[in-house]
Amino acid sequence: MSYWALNAIFLAVVAAVALAAIVTRRAPRWASVAVALAVVLLMTAVFDNIMIGVGLVGYDEAKISGAFVGIAPLEDFAYAVAAVILLPSLWALIGGARDRRSPHAARTNHAQTSENAAQNSNNAQTSQDPAQTSTPKGTGDA
Amino acid sequence: MGLLYLVALGIALTGMVMLDRRFGLFFWRSARTAAVVLVAGVAFFLVWDLFGIGLGIFFRGETDFMTGLQIAPELPIEEVFFLTLLCYLTMNLYGALELLRARRAERA
Repeated sequence: MSYWALNAIFLAVVAAVALAAIVTRRAPRWASVAVALAVVLLMTAVFDNIMIGVGLVGYDEAKISGAFVGIAPLEDFAYAVAAVILLPSLWALIGGARDRRSPHAARTNHAQTSENAAQNSNNAQTSQDPAQTSTPKGTGDA
Repeated sequence: MGLLYLVALGIALTGMVMLDRRFGLFFWRSARTAAVVLVAGVAFFLVWDLFGIGLGIFFRGETDFMTGLQIAPELPIEEVFFLTLLCYLTMNLYGALELLRARRAERA
């Protein structure tokens, strides 16, 4: 099996989790995901080249596509794509979505009080429907 | 035994924890959710690694920078810390972007 074929399987799992987050209306903010993706891809390009350059990891040339960014196989970037989509989707799915609150509340409350924090910051109406509101106060088109 | 890579990963991870604590990005935003997301993420990438190793796609390099300790054939102990760093970095970034967005919205 090629590196791309392996990646396809794991990226499909990532897509399934993201889809689950979308259909349950608990999707992460995609604008934030996109910016994080750009940063993590850039860091992967830098550090993967260093890691391969100093010999931390090797590849079977018969199983990679031969497309490289520097000396890093393009396939390696699938890890970055997966991380940036999978983890925020999980976060939003599991309950990070109920955690949308003001920066002030974020500094003074911890996990066990996230429900209270949402009420304290007067944005309780957004707590059940975070995917459809773009700000903590539920302003905008609401 | 080379400790260089492990120490570098440890320093980077310490930085991630300090940023998290200072700005409330991940564990300091919702500790239980963060724990589940981090463990699930690292486990997911470890399974991905194990299949890649099992299929002979990639393998551990011969280098003096690593301890040589392996948690499975061709899977160095350092990889667990690398994957933890990848996941922590991703969620710190996401948390920071969310925080910035919330602050902008609050000021508006």
